[in-house]
Amino acid sequence: MKRSHILSLLLIAALIGSFIATFTSTSRSVNFAEATQFAGEECKVSGTLNTAFPVEYNPEIDPTKTFFHMFDATGASKRVILSQPKPTGLENSESIDLYGSIVGEEFHATEMLMKCPSKYNENNHVLLGEDFQAEG
Amino acid sequence: MEYLEEWTGIATFGQGLIALAFGASFVALIAFLSGWKSVGRRAFYIHTFSTFAAIALIFVLFGAHRYEFEYIWKHLNNEMPMRFIFSAFWGGQEGGFLLWMFWHNVLGMVLLLSDSEWHNPVMATLSAIELFLTSMLLGVYFGNFQLGLDPFLLLRDAPSNAGLPWTARADYLTAFPMFQDGQGLNPLLQNYWMTIHPPTLFLGFASTSIPFAYALAGLANRKDRSWMKPALRWSIFGIGILGTGILMGGAWAYEALSFGGFWAWDPVENSSLVPWLTLVAGAHLLLINRNRKKPMALFSTYYFLLISFLLVLYSTFLTKSGVLGDTSVHSFVDSGILPQLLVYVLSFVGLAHFMLLDSKVWKATFGSIVAILLLLALKGWVIESIGAFLGLLVVTSLKAYRSEFERTEEEDSVWGREFWMFVGSLLFLVSAAHITWQTSLPVFNRFLEPLSPVLKQLGESFSSQVLLDLSKHNLAPGTDLDQTYHLVQVPLAVLIMALMGLAQWLKYKTTNVATIAKNLFLSFVLSALVTGILVWSYPFEWWELPRVALLSTALFAVFSNVDYILRMVRGKLKLWGSPVAHVGFGLVIFGAVLSTSQKDIISKNQIGDISTLNEELNNREDLLIMEGDTLSMGPYFVSYRNRYQDGIHVKFRMDYFEKNPYVYKPGDVVFFDGMVFEAKETHKASPQFSEDLEDHWMFVPFPNERQAKTAQLWKAGLPGRRLFTLEPRIQLNEQMGNAPEPDTKHWLNRDLYTHIKWGRVSPPETDEEGWMGGRTHTMQVGDSMLVGHTLLTIDSLRAVSDDEKPERGLLQKDLAIAACVSLKNKKQKRTHQPLYIVRDSTLIPDLYEAEDYGIKMRIETFDPQAEVLDMTVWEHESVRRDFVVMQASIFPLINVLWLGCILMAIGTFMAVWSRWKTDSKSKSNA
Repeated sequence: MKRSHILSLLLIAALIGSFIATFTSTSRSVNFAEATQFAGEECKVSGTLNTAFPVEYNPEIDPTKTFFHMFDATGASKRVILSQPKPTGLENSESIDLYGSIVGEEFHATEMLMKCPSKYNENNHVLLGEDFQAEG
Repeated sequence: MEYLEEWTGIATFGQGLIALAFGASFVALIAFLSGWKSVGRRAFYIHTFSTFAAIALIFVLFGAHRYEFEYIWKHLNNEMPMRFIFSAFWGGQEGGFLLWMFWHNVLGMVLLLSDSEWHNPVMATLSAIELFLTSMLLGVYFGNFQLGLDPFLLLRDAPSNAGLPWTARADYLTAFPMFQDGQGLNPLLQNYWMTIHPPTLFLGFASTSIPFAYALAGLANRKDRSWMKPALRWSIFGIGILGTGILMGGAWAYEALSFGGFWAWDPVENSSLVPWLTLVAGAHLLLINRNRKKPMALFSTYYFLLISFLLVLYSTFLTKSGVLGDTSVHSFVDSGILPQLLVYVLSFVGLAHFMLLDSKVWKATFGSIVAILLLLALKGWVIESIGAFLGLLVVTSLKAYRSEFERTEEEDSVWGREFWMFVGSLLFLVSAAHITWQTSLPVFNRFLEPLSPVLKQLGESFSSQVLLDLSKHNLAPGTDLDQTYHLVQVPLAVLIMALMGLAQWLKYKTTNVATIAKNLFLSFVLSALVTGILVWSYPFEWWELPRVALLSTALFAVFSNVDYILRMVRGKLKLWGSPVAHVGFGLVIFGAVLSTSQKDIISKNQIGDISTLNEELNNREDLLIMEGDTLSMGPYFVSYRNRYQDGIHVKFRMDYFEKNPYVYKPGDVVFFDGMVFEAKETHKASPQFSEDLEDHWMFVPFPNERQAKTAQLWKAGLPGRRLFTLEPRIQLNEQMGNAPEPDTKHWLNRDLYTHIKWGRVSPPETDEEGWMGGRTHTMQVGDSMLVGHTLLTIDSLRAVSDDEKPERGLLQKDLAIAACVSLKNKKQKRTHQPLYIVRDSTLIPDLYEAEDYGIKMRIETFDPQAEVLDMTVWEHESVRRDFVVMQASIFPLINVLWLGCILMAIGTFMAVWSRWKTDSKSKSNA
């Protein structure tokens, strides 16, 4: 066998190997109901803040815990314990991605990403008709 | 209708410039393809001129604050200092495209001036790229298909404002205050990094297009391989600029954003790194082939150069189309140009693969299959035909690799530089492919969606969980970077670094093995020695073995290349480029790995606590610190002095004090870990109690009264003099939410990085007398709650006796209940008795103030049967103490990383310079 063949085989093996090796760590994005099935495994749940409940953060008691409620994509709401100080702008967030797992009735999140309105100013549609009708 | 005060004409003029640029690039493309050189050149000049004019015009609009333009209104406001005008210009997608075009035009001018035999085909490709880019700015709609985003769009013409009543008023600009001020640039982008990072990165992106253009030209004329020399120069130029741009992004993230590091494997960062990796691989293959009569790995040479540019396009697609969605912190949202971006990427991908084929039959087959797929896509089978197209690409690449390129039958020596450079470039390919794979998960989901039913059925019949999972098309990147990236990238980097050290000492063709061993011996010993020192001085764990291996091979690469400069290159300045760049790259990897893996979070909460029960969820890296308090943190004492507002920043003054060891005298009693110890002799405390235990302390199993009374928590030190003050800050940002920004103290061998995780940016709301709160709580006997720093507990309830009533100002007929409320803070504990009074069956509100606690309370209702009461509590602002939650870490040897960056940039530019000199000399000789 020629050396170039050996190299190509090694290359293909390395490519496939690297994909598979890290594929196992890929998390799934799920809703709360599905996350319950995967209890204990890390998954990602996206949703929006449930504003019917207050965002609780009492740094005097524990600076590293934030409590809030979130709706997932199906509209189900769960209490979330985020083990981070309260991210600034959480109350105004448009959408939330949580990474963590279900423990009992709550979702324990270790990491969180938020989309805030007008990231990079790309979706400012603030000019509402009503504001102007009164004057005009 | 004439709109008053509006620069309507300018809008039309600007759109005209874009249209002209679009048309001129089309003419240039046709002309260069047809070999009409002078027509093509003129058209390209016109294209460049109108692009520059459009850019200048936008700057004028910014300078004149013309808020009738949507782009200006979105990215500027009256407050923004003009020094951020550049950041504002490329703050949006339209500006980004214009910046990218600007660099293509500048590079195009350079190519036009340095006229060569490859002039026409190279300029044709560049014109085609420009044609597509300009179309991104046309802002024309064909039904639902949006062609480009118009930078000169008037606010009243924006689709989101269509049909609103004000758009029909001629005087809208003067009538509504809205139009006298804009939205303003996102404050996160208002810094000098945003002024220098994007132009560098875009120049890097633009410079990948030139090796791409040369490679296409080379494919069109396969006999002549003279394109490789200029392509090599441009590739090295691209490596230098793109590399600098990427690292600048890292520096920005580290210095100004609160990522807690400089590289987060964020999809946006990744997608700019991947083309750099493939470009590096391509440039090294060019190095092999440029002077050889019989080519080696010719297919790969072409392939790497082609995909570098294609991956830049893919990167643009990922970041600008919105397909990444929520997986990245800084991607753009979908602005409706996804289909167009996709067409852009796929056209060039198709073109590149078409050109890779040599045989006419295959070319024709490829063309017809693409045409069929295009029809299918237009019929609505979009995802399916893209999938089939990708399959076609794989087949074409394999075919091209197998039989479309000149091959050398005899094999090169294993001890020649070529062979190992080739192996190295394959390693770069694996690295790039793996990163792309991880970054593309959101894209895969789109492909998995139509396959979902099939996968589900297959999964069920084979009872395969993997297939069932895939059928849900919900893959998301994992959050554990060690698992998702480092697992693969670290071993690859180990090999790449080792090759970087080895290959420099190899000669082309073949080298004597004994000579190599002799030459590398010194570097090998040195790197082993330094690795030993590192392992000894930093707390590496056994699972970090790959990381330690990477540190040692990175050191090997650095030493070997320094050695090469000292012994081989010496005064020959034109040979300095490559070894200097390699030293730089080795230092970058070394600095990055060491400073990240040995990052020491000194704010780690060290107080023994109950929270260890749930280790996984427990974040102990953040520390709460009260205003005026001083806490021990690593080698320092830290005190939160105060906060103040400075422009758009609220700054927190954190004073760092030196730590003086505490001196214990004989007879001093301390607690440690729940046990009591007595000092045997006078001694200075060590940083850890365990170090002192044996020599200086005596365990006291049964403390006597004196010992029990005087025992204090063991502490290592006392704050000494103030060393420095850091001012981490929170940027007030109404649009995006407030954003924390770190402050860093730099030393030569380490950085101390401090940032605020949570802090109050404005005082809490109070009434006129300074009372805050006023929330009503339902409580029972035995319940406690925290009011500021005071613990409030209801101990008991009792009826007020008749004797007491006069002194409390009550009438004998009153019915009164006293709640015995104990208030406890650090200084005192006392019981207070607010009253619940009913007089003639009417409730008399009784406001009770505990002055020395700054607390006011009032019982609102009382249910004697359930013994439940509602109580309202206020806290006075005078007793409130401010606090912040902060994180502080030490990054060791991070300056090695920055030094590496600088050397890498210098090295690549030296290489470009010397190649340019030698190439032009050989040309004039020929």
